[in-house]
Amino acid sequence: MLAAPAPVLALRKLHVDALSMRADRTRLQVGEVFHLAIHARVREPIVALDELVVPDVGTMQLLGDERHVTSTPGGADVVETLTLEPTQSGTFTFAGAYVDAIDARTGKPSRFSSNSVRVVVEKPGVTFDGPWTASASFVATTVVGTIVVGGFIVLVIGGLLFALVRARPKPAPPNPVPQAPASAGPPRTARDEVAEALRAFRAAPEHASLMRLRTALFAAAGAGPGATLSDATAATQDERLRAALVAAEHAAFGPAATRERSAAELVEESERWLR
Amino acid sequence: MAALSGRPRDVLDALHATIVGQDEVVEALVLGMIAGGHVLLEGAPGVAKTLACRALAASITGTFRRVQFTPDLLPSDIVGTRVFDQKSGEFATVLGPLFANVVLADEINRAPAKVQSALLEGMQERRVTIGPQTHDLPAPFVVLATMNPFDTDGTYALPLAQLDRFLAKVIVAFPSRDEERAIVDRFGAGEPPLRSGVVSAADVLRWQDEAHGVFVDAKLRDYAIDLVRATRGAELVAHGASPRAALALVALARARAYLYERAFATPDDVRDLAPAVFRHRISYDDRIAIAGGDPEEVVRRIVASVPAP
Repeated sequence: MLAAPAPVLALRKLHVDALSMRADRTRLQVGEVFHLAIHARVREPIVALDELVVPDVGTMQLLGDERHVTSTPGGADVVETLTLEPTQSGTFTFAGAYVDAIDARTGKPSRFSSNSVRVVVEKPGVTFDGPWTASASFVATTVVGTIVVGGFIVLVIGGLLFALVRARPKPAPPNPVPQAPASAGPPRTARDEVAEALRAFRAAPEHASLMRLRTALFAAAGAGPGATLSDATAATQDERLRAALVAAEHAAFGPAATRERSAAELVEESERWLR
Repeated sequence: MAALSGRPRDVLDALHATIVGQDEVVEALVLGMIAGGHVLLEGAPGVAKTLACRALAASITGTFRRVQFTPDLLPSDIVGTRVFDQKSGEFATVLGPLFANVVLADEINRAPAKVQSALLEGMQERRVTIGPQTHDLPAPFVVLATMNPFDTDGTYALPLAQLDRFLAKVIVAFPSRDEERAIVDRFGAGEPPLRSGVVSAADVLRWQDEAHGVFVDAKLRDYAIDLVRATRGAELVAHGASPRAALALVALARARAYLYERAFATPDDVRDLAPAVFRHRISYDDRIAIAGGDPEEVVRRIVASVPAP
């Protein structure tokens, strides 16, 4: 069920650059688990996006709901993943997720909405092979016909598109709301980030690399940029990580006279945590 | 007997021995002493505002005066006056209750503007003029003022310019159920004696001097400035905080680091203390009443909108 719009007082100013939703499977059977991921990208270095309202999942069983906020050079990425299990067959359309905020571009209260997602759920035992269950000759005829006709259509459309692109000037950057998330490579873990930041800090122990290491440790604790030490230590129960976070605070904000010693402690505590 | 080298933690412990809960209030009072600033306490009657101030004053071997502000109070009642001595045939100066190390201005908003102005001038200048003579106020000199947010009939609102003289404003909330039970147990048979003379006035002056040496990184200074600037033009805010707020925020962050025996201030210090620095320095848009908004929520949102370094 969609929540009522937040009161004006509760709205904060945001640049929402992308808000999209997708399912990892759109055709499945009752009892099969799938994931619905909502991705939001904002320009502000937020630590949480409480304004993100996910769609009602109806009769589907909600097995999990995880929200991660990752800092980016241009702000933050928020990914919320719902793990769902359909309990009955049918076609389900998830209404778009949305964020109510003051649009930082216009200064006006706005609702940023994602695309909707449709999922088809069949009764158990039904396969989705469709025409591939038909006879081999029918299959062969269909495949050859499709390739020939399809190839011709692709060539014609490709030629038209090429001519259009050459003839027209480059379009202005599109309005980024909503926008599909860029496909990401294999996910890097928090440890990877800390290890890499630690290597950089050891190679060049200067302010920028120190702050990068501190940010990586905060992220490992589950606290994004803009958080404080108390946020980060409250977000983790890992004592070794807490010790590294405290060492990072000393190194980042302590007086110059103690900075060298603090930096050595930071390296030591970070290595201990990585072990 | 005053300790020779009393620490601020000793005062904190002494206050906690009397006051049940109210951690933020107790901490703010001690931070005010360390930073040498004045503190305004706002809360309903009976939530231990006055008791907290008395407990703080008792813990320091110095002079303490309490002034109950009323509509018929005159500036000379707090500052002092000149009286004619018939024996000597000359005028003599009688110093008012403002000449004390700790002054409790109870229900400050019940006195008219002239009296408030006289008090606040003394708070800012740390000296007062009586007749032809100017007198320095003693050091340390801290004013602790209380206000009741209810019963506004017959009160005089303090203008923003005067409120700005207070380093911090703390809201004294109602206690939790467990705290209320502890209050009944602790005070049921009468008020227990306050811990007196835990530290000396000289100790407080030493803290104020040493707290200036607490390191504040440039990132933290910029964070304090960004927070202050975020109050200007924020949603539902008519007038944001002045540059004095940035000075107050950094001073309080230093004081807090000193209280907890740290050599440097942290982003947590700045962020945690920002509401106490901002809440009395901001005036709100008329729309806040229409939107049913809570000024405290506005301050929280302003603080949350600025990422810590």
